[in-house]
Amino acid sequence: MTTTKKRNRAGSKLRRRISGVLALGFALAGAGGLYTMLLPEPQTAHANADPALIRQGERLYNTTCISCHGSNLQGVKDRGPSLIGVGESAAHFQLSTGRMPLVRQEAEASRKPPKFSPEEIDAISAYVQEHGGGPTAPDKKGSDLRGGDPGRGGQLFRLNCASCHNFTGRGIAMSSGKYAPELEHASEQQIYEAMQTGPENMPKFSDRQLTPEEKQDIIAYVKSVTNNKNNPGGNDLGGYGPGPETVIAWVVGLGALIGITLWIGARA
Amino acid sequence: MSEQNNEYTEADLAEMSREEKARLGLALDDVELVEYRDNWPVKGTRAERRAERFTAAWFALAGFSALAFVAVFIFWPWQYQDPLSNQKGYFLYALYNPLIGFFLGLSIFSVGVGVVLYSKKFLPHEVAVQQRHDGHGSSEVDRQTAAALLADAGSRSGIARRSLIKRTAGFGVGAFGLGAGVFAIGGVVHNPWSSRGQESLLHTGWEPDGEKVYLRRDTGNSKDVSLLRPEDIDAGGFETVFPFRESERHNEHALSEAMKKGDAPVMLIRLRPGASPVKRQGQEDFNYGDYYAYSKVCTHLGCPTSLFEAQTGRLLCPCHQSQFDVVHTYAKPVFGPATRALPQLPITVDEDGYFVAKHDFIEPVGPAYWERKS
Repeated sequence: MTTTKKRNRAGSKLRRRISGVLALGFALAGAGGLYTMLLPEPQTAHANADPALIRQGERLYNTTCISCHGSNLQGVKDRGPSLIGVGESAAHFQLSTGRMPLVRQEAEASRKPPKFSPEEIDAISAYVQEHGGGPTAPDKKGSDLRGGDPGRGGQLFRLNCASCHNFTGRGIAMSSGKYAPELEHASEQQIYEAMQTGPENMPKFSDRQLTPEEKQDIIAYVKSVTNNKNNPGGNDLGGYGPGPETVIAWVVGLGALIGITLWIGARA
Repeated sequence: MSEQNNEYTEADLAEMSREEKARLGLALDDVELVEYRDNWPVKGTRAERRAERFTAAWFALAGFSALAFVAVFIFWPWQYQDPLSNQKGYFLYALYNPLIGFFLGLSIFSVGVGVVLYSKKFLPHEVAVQQRHDGHGSSEVDRQTAAALLADAGSRSGIARRSLIKRTAGFGVGAFGLGAGVFAIGGVVHNPWSSRGQESLLHTGWEPDGEKVYLRRDTGNSKDVSLLRPEDIDAGGFETVFPFRESERHNEHALSEAMKKGDAPVMLIRLRPGASPVKRQGQEDFNYGDYYAYSKVCTHLGCPTSLFEAQTGRLLCPCHQSQFDVVHTYAKPVFGPATRALPQLPITVDEDGYFVAKHDFIEPVGPAYWERKS
């Protein structure tokens, strides 16, 4: 009696254990599945870039960027800021405009020829994105980034950008040696990334503040007023507005009038 | 000159040629022509014909360029073309302004050159000498008679006697002068307090007036109503905002005007986490977390102070280089001619998650004025 009871108990115990393990297994698998299904896209560490590219980026990072930005993108005090959360967008902007690698610490990093090839810049950007996360570069490239409504772009540019970059993107001096650069040489992608990431002293313009479409309209406006475009007078005189125009009118125009007057008087 | 004229009778004058009369006229004015030479004493030489053709060519050029100006003005494609999508059309459009300027300028210039050339080549070369009349100027008789003539004309017009006409004329002309003066300076005189008294300088469009005032962004289309939520702005970002009331949602005029009023623009700044600016006494609860809202109108002369340096937290004014520090202080001026901090707008977030103004600014925005105490 006792033995069978025991055996029964042992049998049921085994069954219970098996069913318990199974239930736990299902529950865990279900929870895990639900978790992966419901979890929002993580903000950091996208593993979708080519591992070889990231490895190349890591090599380049470790030989050029690491002394100021640290081995884990955490930054080094008094040398370089943390790159966690800046994203490939910021990395691509800084590297492709030649601002990084920095020559020296000063008020403003100037645009210069990029030190890396486009492929190397992509590799470092992918590495920064992989390990720090942040805003990603726009999907479209080149002139595809120009929006369809430069007029609205102009409105938004004058409201948000022109105070520093001037209404035709010529830039202006800021405080203590800093300056807002001219936009003539910036590519469409660089302008987009600058708005996304706010390099140096520029404020950030998030996608909720200026939607991607609005950003692209702004790019279309910038591209339609720089590089001697939208210049019906023939010469934009620097694009700084009435100041240089007045100087030219007075110095050149009045100078010519006085010269002609003197010439007429001298000949008569 | 009066007595000499009597020496010539009508018969004398009839005998004189035109040239003689001209010389006599000069002589009567004590002017003597020392040299009066025709440029082309021999008519019809090749040099003369060449000079004539040369001058005529300039006048012809003036005519043709004036016609070209008219043609370009009427027929040239003047409508704006987008340089990105229509290169060729834009090129033609861009030539419109320079072309009309060039042709009109060339036309005027050519007329001028033609006139100068004509006077140089064809008008006779003359050297005239006029005697200087030293002494006492007009004789006593001349002076007294001239004065008497004027006085006589005045008295014979009878205006002195007819006082009704004198007074009404004085009234009419005087009032006309007054009107002209008002017209000239009236536009300069403006009373900023005419509508609501001195109060009007103390209130802006942000005054709730019993209705919630939201913070609204400009999307480039004044009919769009886009309200701000805290998550819209990234840390280190800033945005210019304007007041919005629910009652204005379908009023296009009010929607557009709200963004055009000079005292309305406000900068909503989101400082980076960790920034803890010193707060002004009485404004301790004006911010919402890291969000601070300041008037965009410079306290020096009213320019938009929207050159925001995200790292140093400074707002720059482009007109006279005033700088306001928002990361360490309550937008106190740290450089330049501005002396007062930017007025801060008290903000909070309502139950639906939108930014709203708690109340109006507690001080007038913009530059100082006579009656302002601080």
